[in-house]
Amino acid sequence: MAEVLLEVKDLRKYFPIRRGVMQRTVGHVKAVDGITFDLMQGETLGVVGESGCGKSTMGRSILRLLEPTSGSVVFEGQNVVGLSRSKMQTMRREMQIVFQDPYASLNPRFSIRQTLMEPMIVHHLYTPKQRMERVGSLLDRVGLDPDYGARYPHEFSGGQRQRIGIARALALNPKLIILDEPVAALDVSVQSQVLNLLEDLQEEFNLTYIFVAHDLSVVRHISDRVLVMYLGKMAEQAETEELFSQPLHPYTRALMSAVPVPDPDIKRERVILQGDLPSPANPPSGCTFHTRCPMAMDICKQQIPEWKEAKPQHLVACHLYNE
Amino acid sequence: MSNLLEVRDLHVQFRIDEKYYSAVKGIDFAIEEGKTLGLVGESGCGKSVTSLAVMRLLQPPTKILGTATFRGKDLLKATEKEMQDIRGNDISMIFQEPMTSLNPVHRIGRQIGESLVLHKGMSEKQARSEAIGLLQQVGIPRATQIVDEYPHQLSGGMRQRVMIAIAIACNPQMLIADEPTTALDVTIQAQILDLMRKLAKERNMATLLITHDLGVVAEMCDRVAVMYAGHIVEQGPVRKIFKNPQHPYTIGLMNSLPKIVGTKERLHPIHGNVPSLRNMPQGCRFRPRCPHAMDACAANPDFFKIEDDHESRCWLHADLKEAK
Repeated sequence: MAEVLLEVKDLRKYFPIRRGVMQRTVGHVKAVDGITFDLMQGETLGVVGESGCGKSTMGRSILRLLEPTSGSVVFEGQNVVGLSRSKMQTMRREMQIVFQDPYASLNPRFSIRQTLMEPMIVHHLYTPKQRMERVGSLLDRVGLDPDYGARYPHEFSGGQRQRIGIARALALNPKLIILDEPVAALDVSVQSQVLNLLEDLQEEFNLTYIFVAHDLSVVRHISDRVLVMYLGKMAEQAETEELFSQPLHPYTRALMSAVPVPDPDIKRERVILQGDLPSPANPPSGCTFHTRCPMAMDICKQQIPEWKEAKPQHLVACHLYNE
Repeated sequence: MSNLLEVRDLHVQFRIDEKYYSAVKGIDFAIEEGKTLGLVGESGCGKSVTSLAVMRLLQPPTKILGTATFRGKDLLKATEKEMQDIRGNDISMIFQEPMTSLNPVHRIGRQIGESLVLHKGMSEKQARSEAIGLLQQVGIPRATQIVDEYPHQLSGGMRQRVMIAIAIACNPQMLIADEPTTALDVTIQAQILDLMRKLAKERNMATLLITHDLGVVAEMCDRVAVMYAGHIVEQGPVRKIFKNPQHPYTIGLMNSLPKIVGTKERLHPIHGNVPSLRNMPQGCRFRPRCPHAMDACAANPDFFKIEDDHESRCWLHADLKEAK
């Protein structure tokens, strides 16, 4: 049986809102507000939600690229929150990230070889000769010509740059890779190339992924389990097939019915949500979704719904399922 | 039904280092009154350039050749004065990024009213009350207050609604929507698409919808034209294109989409990358990426008729015909 690789418990990240001459803290943006999940070795967890729901902040808080406000992130039995700088650096060998924008996340003044060698140099791994060989094999592995090492980022297309970003994340043989919207900036035909590459790499290196995205079809394709977020909180979590065939939370249902399907014959019942996403600086009381929820009840305005197992392995935070 | 806009043999050439390169190379399409045509393709295929050329929004040294007949008048030969009467009045446009297409220093009401004052000769006061009515029609709550607010006070979805209010102010016969929902979240996208469909129907307004999202096309369009590297490679009624795609590029696009319903299977990507303007392959431009490429592809194919009203630009169909 697969082992638990990562345990995230009640993770929170609040950003202070400062006002006035004294820059007093007048409130907080609760970007990530109590996220809990376990991740098995070799598993892919998809995290979906609309812009501003905190999904990227969550990914960065797990790696401590942003310092979490509270909660714990236990990676292979060790809580990484509160680790010293040097210990954290060693941990980061095991945990890597691929960003959305392949244009902004590569240093334009570094050749691809320099970009890929940088992590090995920082972590004092391999001899210079081995590093050179490793760059070649990494490029080859992500489907690029090993001779491209001497080139610079501007010489590559978006899809190729994303492959370089993936090669960089692989450079240290990590166990966990957080993929933050890795295909959102790519064209459809290239997007599928990168998705297939990610699947192959996962199998080959037994990687564990957290796949953050807003595109539900992509998340369904790549994930074993899916976590739906709304305004920093968890709305629903289940196995992918279960979630997509039996969504429980009204938000998940609305999200799924809003995706246009490339088939003119499929006429689905559509739940069109009214209104916009509320500001996370001033979230609604009770269940944060009640302002847009088609099934809102009185209790939703007052009480925050509990995070409960409505069916085996299917968790949801909604008063409809609180008996 | 008569054709409202008929584009014939449109070429758009950009000058790069003293040489001209065709971003759009001889495309034909037509839009009937009140109907929606989807122009679909990946980035750089020339879909946005096509709409900008038709609206005459490209400046020299860019060359535009061909004809674009709108209600009997060739837009490509019209004077700038005539175009000013048409833009925002008979044909209007909405763009992807609603923040950059609204003026940040003018109030919402004034931006909606501008075309009414200009084209319909309304007074500022009339235009303002008309603007409130339009805001209500596009589903903006508190219209009487929003009319005096600035774009930065609105969310992305609301801004796109304001853009739509501006676009429909003069009751145009045609709307060009260039990736209108790409910057929006899915739940907001559903709202905006719903609104566009409703308004087009109420006003019998034709729409040229430019998008990369096949899902949006399936939902919104009557006809589709698939573009690749400056050519239309396949066009026809939306059902025929989705149910019976013929061109290898169209088929490739559909196979590379992950599905939200049905069984999960491995994706079948199109290999390689979109060619750049300066390195266009000779003959069929899809040849280097095509799984069916053959010797005949060295020459550029013409359109072959698959069925009534459904045509595809690929040598494969020529073979089929000869075999028969």
